[in-house]
Amino acid sequence: MPNQDKSKEKESRPTTRRDFLRGAGNYTVASLSGAAMLLADPKPAKANITWAEHFQKNYRLMTEEEKQEAIERLETRYSEEYGKKVTVDGTPSIEGVLFGYALNIQKCIGCRRCVKACVAENNQSRGDEQQIEWIRVLRMEKGNFSAEDRDQHGYPESFGVQVGGNAYKPAGVVLEGQHYYEPEQVPEKDAFYFPMQCMQCEKPPCVKVCPVRTTYRDPDGIVVIDYNWCIGCRMCIGACPYWARRFNWGEPNLPKEEMNPVTHYLGNRPRMKGVVEKCTYCVQRTRKGRWTACVEVCPVGARKFGNLLDPNSEIRKVLAKKKVFRLRADLNTYPKFFYFMD
Amino acid sequence: MMTSYRNHLSIMGLWLLAILSIKPSLGAGLEQTGECFESRDGMSQVDVHESAAGVVNVKCSPETGGVLWWGDPFEGTVPMGDMEVEADYWHEEAVVKPREPQIDRNKMLTICSMACHNGVYVPIPYNKDARPLKMHLDIIPDAMNLKHGKGGVWCLDCHHLVDRTKLIDNFGYSVSFNQPQKLCGKCHGQVYRAWRDGIHGKRIGMWDQGGKKRWWVCTECHNPHDVEQGDRNSGFAQLAPEPAPNLPKGMTNADHERMHHGPDKGDSTH
Repeated sequence: MPNQDKSKEKESRPTTRRDFLRGAGNYTVASLSGAAMLLADPKPAKANITWAEHFQKNYRLMTEEEKQEAIERLETRYSEEYGKKVTVDGTPSIEGVLFGYALNIQKCIGCRRCVKACVAENNQSRGDEQQIEWIRVLRMEKGNFSAEDRDQHGYPESFGVQVGGNAYKPAGVVLEGQHYYEPEQVPEKDAFYFPMQCMQCEKPPCVKVCPVRTTYRDPDGIVVIDYNWCIGCRMCIGACPYWARRFNWGEPNLPKEEMNPVTHYLGNRPRMKGVVEKCTYCVQRTRKGRWTACVEVCPVGARKFGNLLDPNSEIRKVLAKKKVFRLRADLNTYPKFFYFMD
Repeated sequence: MMTSYRNHLSIMGLWLLAILSIKPSLGAGLEQTGECFESRDGMSQVDVHESAAGVVNVKCSPETGGVLWWGDPFEGTVPMGDMEVEADYWHEEAVVKPREPQIDRNKMLTICSMACHNGVYVPIPYNKDARPLKMHLDIIPDAMNLKHGKGGVWCLDCHHLVDRTKLIDNFGYSVSFNQPQKLCGKCHGQVYRAWRDGIHGKRIGMWDQGGKKRWWVCTECHNPHDVEQGDRNSGFAQLAPEPAPNLPKGMTNADHERMHHGPDKGDSTH
């Protein structure tokens, strides 16, 4: 009888920490056997990769060996997935280089070739279901305003800066420019064009808010993302004042034949569902000395790119000789993307 | 010029078809063939082909036929060589794409200069007033469309008097079609200096100091006969833009961004 009592007592007793741990242990065993089943998959290589990838560290905290392993895993997986030899590069930033970008808004004709070049180079998702473009080109209307306008009516609506608003009247809706303009020919007579992309801020608000610190600024000034560590919370998208970041709401659509096989771990390697991406100044090109895809494709040569620390570089000459401004300098983000005029 | 150019295009197309039917060895994904243009449609064409194993030299836009991506930025280029550029770049690393093959695509340069404009048959005009010359409108339909220098510049200010394969600068020295900046810079000095510094114009290739760069010369972007072309008088001819981004799901048009909002709506002209 005492034995029976004891067993009853055991049954009625609430779960102790020890029991819980024992149970959890059983679960672990179960999940491990699940892993074993995964490993026994007809495609063992792929399962191995996925498993190891899932448990890898934040890229910034990896040792060189771990980085190399991660890169090799990805190369194997991508090569299999896209049916061609895909290289994943891990080149760190170059000593003595700080990348800067300058765009001549007087020259830009709004042809959107930079947008499409970026998509071709950086393996963005394309198609009707989910289209991701890192560069946006805004069409701004030209306008005039007089002192009388300013005092009596606020800024005129079509000026493209701010609509209405002065000491006596509230500000209206800010006219932000048109994304979806489709004239037959550009440039149009009454418009100018304003391309925007990631400004690679020196004090990036997106880096400040990232709860898992998967996005960070490299020494050459490029703000990068470790897609594997991204949890998809989209805080950075909210924090960015330049609308530079894009989110993979669904599985990205990247046709095999259009995929660019020359990739960088922190740049244009294929992304997965649920991660954030943005312009990286074509890190896979620029760290090898090549100009970015958008610079090379601009038919009017409005885009300039180079090393801000090299006094003879084109970008420094632009800064020295031209009228330059940075977008929303009041936010103290210190962008490394400059707009200039002749 | 356009008609002959189109004829030439169609011949080119037949050629390409012929070549393709013989050599279907381009791998999957490299179906792109034909040609696209760099900056000036008709005057800066590139033929698409495989430049290395599995890599095309350029990718073209299916919508507008413009170059969208450079696989090999240095294809068809030659060292800039003897050109004097007082800039901080290593001259031997600078390359240019010769203009003569582009200008000579319909063989006008070769045939015309051999047959007549060789300095023997055609009399040199005595009237040196600036005017468009109403000649050869069959092969140069836009000959009357001369808009350069607000009526102060005419053919023989830039083209060599007797040798039509050459340009001529304001000192009378002949200039190759491949180095138009030597001629253009004589008047447009400020732009020339900016171009030399890399601020004006375009370069592709390597950004780093000492890296190989392809410099683009004046006539690769500007039409020297009709520089005021385009609605905006920007010096750059108008182009067809690439397609707009997709509208957000559920949105049928983009009228919202064309509307002017604001407190003054309706009560003033603003």
